[in-house]
Amino acid sequence: MTKRLLVVDDDADMRLTLKLALEIAGYGVEVAANGKEALEAQRRRAADVLITDIFMPDADGFEAIDAFRKEFPATKIIAVSGGAQFTKRDYLPDAELAGADATLQKPFDVDKLLALLKAL
Amino acid sequence: MRLRSHLLLLSVATAAPVLALAVVIAFLVVKQERDTLRDGAVDRVVAVMSGIDAELRGSIATLRALAASANLEKGELAAFHSEAERILKAHPDWLDYSLNHADGTRLATSLRAGTQVQLADPESFELAVRNGEPVVGALARWDEKGWGVPLRMPVLEDGLTRYVLTVVLKPDAFADLLRAQRLPEGWVVAIADRNGVIVGRIPPVPPGTQATQGWQEALKRSPQGWYRGRTLEGRETYTPYATSDLTGWALGIAMPAEQVDSAAWRSLWLVLIMVLLASGIAVGLALLIGGRIAKPIAELAAGSFPAHTRIDEIRALSAAVREKQELAEREKAALQASDRAKDEFLAMLSHELRNPLAALTTAAHVLKLAGPNEAAAVHARAVVDRQTKHMARLVGDLLDISRVAMGKVALERERFNLAESAGNVLNTWRASGRVERHRVLQDLKPAWVDADRARIEQILSNLLDNAVKFTPAGKQIAVRVAQEGEDAVLLVRDEGAGLAPGSAERMFDLFVQGERGLDRAAGGLGIGLALVKRLTEMHGGSVAAASAGAGRGATFTVRLPAVLPPAQREKAASPLVLAPRKVLIVEDNDDARHMLHQALEFSGHDVREARDGTSGLALAAEARPDVALIDIGLPDLDGYEVARRLRAAPGGRRMGLIAITGYGQAEDQRRAYEAGFDAHLTKPVAPERLKQVMAGLQ
Repeated sequence: MTKRLLVVDDDADMRLTLKLALEIAGYGVEVAANGKEALEAQRRRAADVLITDIFMPDADGFEAIDAFRKEFPATKIIAVSGGAQFTKRDYLPDAELAGADATLQKPFDVDKLLALLKAL
Repeated sequence: MRLRSHLLLLSVATAAPVLALAVVIAFLVVKQERDTLRDGAVDRVVAVMSGIDAELRGSIATLRALAASANLEKGELAAFHSEAERILKAHPDWLDYSLNHADGTRLATSLRAGTQVQLADPESFELAVRNGEPVVGALARWDEKGWGVPLRMPVLEDGLTRYVLTVVLKPDAFADLLRAQRLPEGWVVAIADRNGVIVGRIPPVPPGTQATQGWQEALKRSPQGWYRGRTLEGRETYTPYATSDLTGWALGIAMPAEQVDSAAWRSLWLVLIMVLLASGIAVGLALLIGGRIAKPIAELAAGSFPAHTRIDEIRALSAAVREKQELAEREKAALQASDRAKDEFLAMLSHELRNPLAALTTAAHVLKLAGPNEAAAVHARAVVDRQTKHMARLVGDLLDISRVAMGKVALERERFNLAESAGNVLNTWRASGRVERHRVLQDLKPAWVDADRARIEQILSNLLDNAVKFTPAGKQIAVRVAQEGEDAVLLVRDEGAGLAPGSAERMFDLFVQGERGLDRAAGGLGIGLALVKRLTEMHGGSVAAASAGAGRGATFTVRLPAVLPPAQREKAASPLVLAPRKVLIVEDNDDARHMLHQALEFSGHDVREARDGTSGLALAAEARPDVALIDIGLPDLDGYEVARRLRAAPGGRRMGLIAITGYGQAEDQRRAYEAGFDAHLTKPVAPERLKQVMAGLQ
């Protein structure tokens, strides 16, 4: 069965490449530019896994994780961020606390992401 | 010790000598008062004494007249007796008279015969006989009629005392004299004879009473004076006294001690109360004033500022402390802001570098899997192109700002049209889609400058970058170029977040960024505008930010010195189409070499490549390329050496030589030109730039 994924990132190039890479790997991929769009997309058609950036305009990753945990508790969540370890703004361990199932530090190896998706 | 205590001590130290002096003066006043009282009392005593003496002198005069009686001289004693009796009757104070022979034999008397057998007060009688002078005798019991004082008058014959005429004075007479003094209640006045026997006294005592021990001792010490003692009744008194020269009698007026003392004590008490009152007031005032001084200082020490103090020094101190504190707070705030800015910078640096890297690695992954002509690969290649350019600009900015900060950037000035340059930048931005969410307006009028084209384009790029970050989608960004007087003006106006009042100047500080939340679109390193300012200033220009306020957009205006346009010799820039060339690449880095190879081949060139200098030289000798791109940092020969040898080789003079280095310093460029290179490119090499340079070699 083909899992459906939802990629959320404010950087269009990042959204695009990740969608391409994941589609090549055989997943069905939706994209959104921020937490709000993500929630709307999920309501239209629910994805199995949410791959979200943390640091975004409008609704950020933490808000997205919160909303998903409330509305779509079955959806797995992978949080990604390019933030530095010493800043609070997008501290990845906080994302896990907020309810993310896994985290990845940008830049990441796509194979690693694929392995993570399989594991979930 | 507390300030208040110091002030109290000060007031006490000031008041203490004054108070001590006041006490001394009080004592002196009391003493003076008492001395005056004493002297007055003694004078009074002397006066009373004189009165008594006068009385006695009167009696003596009368007696003297009687003693000179002719009857006595003729020896007619009966006649004398009747004369004496007559006089006795005229003097009620006189008790008796008596005429005695010098040997004591009584010749005539008013006394009944036989009553007086023995001579009373024989001492005075003998004294009168011996000296031939009148004598006032001592009080003696005279006869049954009572006590009397004998007044003896010697009657002389041929210089010798023949008779002694005596009258006896009643003590009551003296008592009457004393009573006439009308002394106040409680006072005592007394006369004592030579022997210390009281002759008269108010209040009276029985005749023959001895004067007090105290008075007698005082009389022994001095015939006239003042002493403190007790009366016969045992009352404490002060007694001024005097002794008569005439009679040797003493008169004393005893004043009750409590009356004399109470006056003195009253004065003393008054002074003491005043002293205490003054001390109390001094201490009170010291505490009050001390409090007024100490309280604001204490408040100041406790960290709060005294609301109102009338002490100038404390006000000045308070102001100084406040100023210091505010300065310290400002410095602290500035330091914290700078710390925050650095943290922000590092955080943003992390994002800004990792995000494009993430896109690149993912794109690389796609390219690895997708066939070269698949849509995915085309997209991925576009991403790589955009993100590398973005990263290159970012890294360039980072390096530039540090180099500019260290003053190590050399400008490559050329004369160009700012409008044309701005147009190129806008085209590139539009092509990359970075301004697709905004309405971009351009109004570009010719304005020529003598500047470093790449730096000016960097300035505009950074301003655009800033405008895009802070302007919401759908809003307008306007770029204008025009000549205004001596200035070539480049203006970028947005409809974005605007600037808070007062922050316009700070915008150009390093690492300072606009307010924002979790908004990466507005992220950045805070170096773009700092770079704009420094680069503009290096060109002798200026940059200013203006805003109608937060949320009302911002306008950045760059002014550069304008120059005259050159004579029309250059044809309008047209898209570069290069004739195919034979190109040699000498580069040891595989990726860089492949990249250049593909880019050149894509443009239709015939490309050869070598990994080091030696094989590069061999290939050049064999293939005879039109252009050679040579990396400077090669493993065997360096790029300079390769260039020198190529130039020396046959046909090498007309070969185009382009140096490619990771170092863009003026020094590196100079060395490249000296080695024989025609051009110098800094890594990463942009294909457009390479195209331009190659066109320049034609």
